Amino acid sequence: MRDKALETKLRLVTLQLENWKKLHDLITYGLDKAKPIISTEQERQFTDVRGNLLQEIEYVLRELNLLSEVSGKAMSVLQRGVSVRGVRDLPDAEVRRLETDWNSVFTKLGLVQGQLKARRKELAEQTVFNFYWKRVLQRPATAH
Amino acid sequence: MPLRLSTFRNLRPALSGGDSLQWTGNIGQASCYSLFHFLGIVETRVLAVNADPVFQDRALAILDQIEHLETHIVRNLSEAVQALLEENFDGLLIEGEAALSLEQATNLRQHFPSLRIACLLPRGGRSEIARTAREQNIELLSIGWSEFGLRSTLTGFVRSLDAHAGTAAEGIDPCHSLIGNLNQFSAAEILQMSCLSQRSGRFTFKSGRGNSEIYLQQGSVRHAVFGSVEGEAAVAEIFRWRQGRFYFEEGIISQEQTVNRPWAHLLIDNLQKLDETLELVSVQ
Repeated sequence: MRDKALETKLRLVTLQLENWKKLHDLITYGLDKAKPIISTEQERQFTDVRGNLLQEIEYVLRELNLLSEVSGKAMSVLQRGVSVRGVRDLPDAEVRRLETDWNSVFTKLGLVQGQLKARRKELAEQTVFNFYWKRVLQRPATAH
Repeated sequence: MPLRLSTFRNLRPALSGGDSLQWTGNIGQASCYSLFHFLGIVETRVLAVNADPVFQDRALAILDQIEHLETHIVRNLSEAVQALLEENFDGLLIEGEAALSLEQATNLRQHFPSLRIACLLPRGGRSEIARTAREQNIELLSIGWSEFGLRSTLTGFVRSLDAHAGTAAEGIDPCHSLIGNLNQFSAAEILQMSCLSQRSGRFTFKSGRGNSEIYLQQGSVRHAVFGSVEGEAAVAEIFRWRQGRFYFEEGIISQEQTVNRPWAHLLIDNLQKLDETLELVSVQ
């Protein structure tokens, strides 16, 4: 048995996490002083990923009921990281802040993804009949 | 967790090798798949290319609902090539503006000749597109207005992927003159070695993508077949395989001849093509 709303949420959170991982890869590359060359292709990828995140973050977080909790930190990451070169030029304190905020968003999204997957696994193991039968049995008794 | 359809294809040769369980025989392949789907053991994998999967998700929402289907979503051609090189998929579905989708599909067809590719396009005014799609062996699916119509179109496509699963394979015979693993030797390397030593016989390659055969005669490739793909396109496909097994049977000659060019030309062309495929991963 598959739940439409749950599948949609899972798809959204998976897409969002993919983008956060890509952003992290590029930020990490930018911060690595041993890699002096930043190509235009990397800058283009960074802009693409950042553009997608800016466009989708609010909608996705609202769908996942995380808007108030994570939105501020997500925007902080996206506003600090303007480009790969820009990240390299950030002062140390700003870099630490960027990493902490990124980690908070990533952790929260990862947790939600895990919870949704657990729920899906639970649903997959039961039939439609079992699902409604359980609901009937677990219905609280009405007080008179 | 259910097995993937591609994983299941990998398992069959091992099961049929010397075990009492035989997949070929009275039970047809299609009925085997139906049974495994019914039991929830096999999972079909589709790669969906969609530039805006968060807001343009009508088709994706329907794919989410199809049982025993795993959908991997990518946003552009570059990501699609990367995913196709790294993992096995039973089919590719491209959604978006008609001309761009067809261009992406045509591009991918050059690099993945045996892959089932479908473009999901809005209805109407596309005779030119239909002609190109036919030439490139690309399926066109209509989005339409009704949810029901789209659902049945997508379900039909996914189910047709199960029916096109690879043919059942026999086990490896110990008398095969050369047996190996594509993880250690690429198809290009073993074919180069066999052609240089002027061999005649049949190479069989088995991987998650299916089985294929290349026939050599006096150090030249005479015939190649992979599913419905034959000739140079089949050779090109096998060049990309990085996982699977192979064995060589000396002295088996093909009556058919679908490859006419010398081995050296094939090798150079296919290695160049492979490089171009890998370039697509980094450049859109």
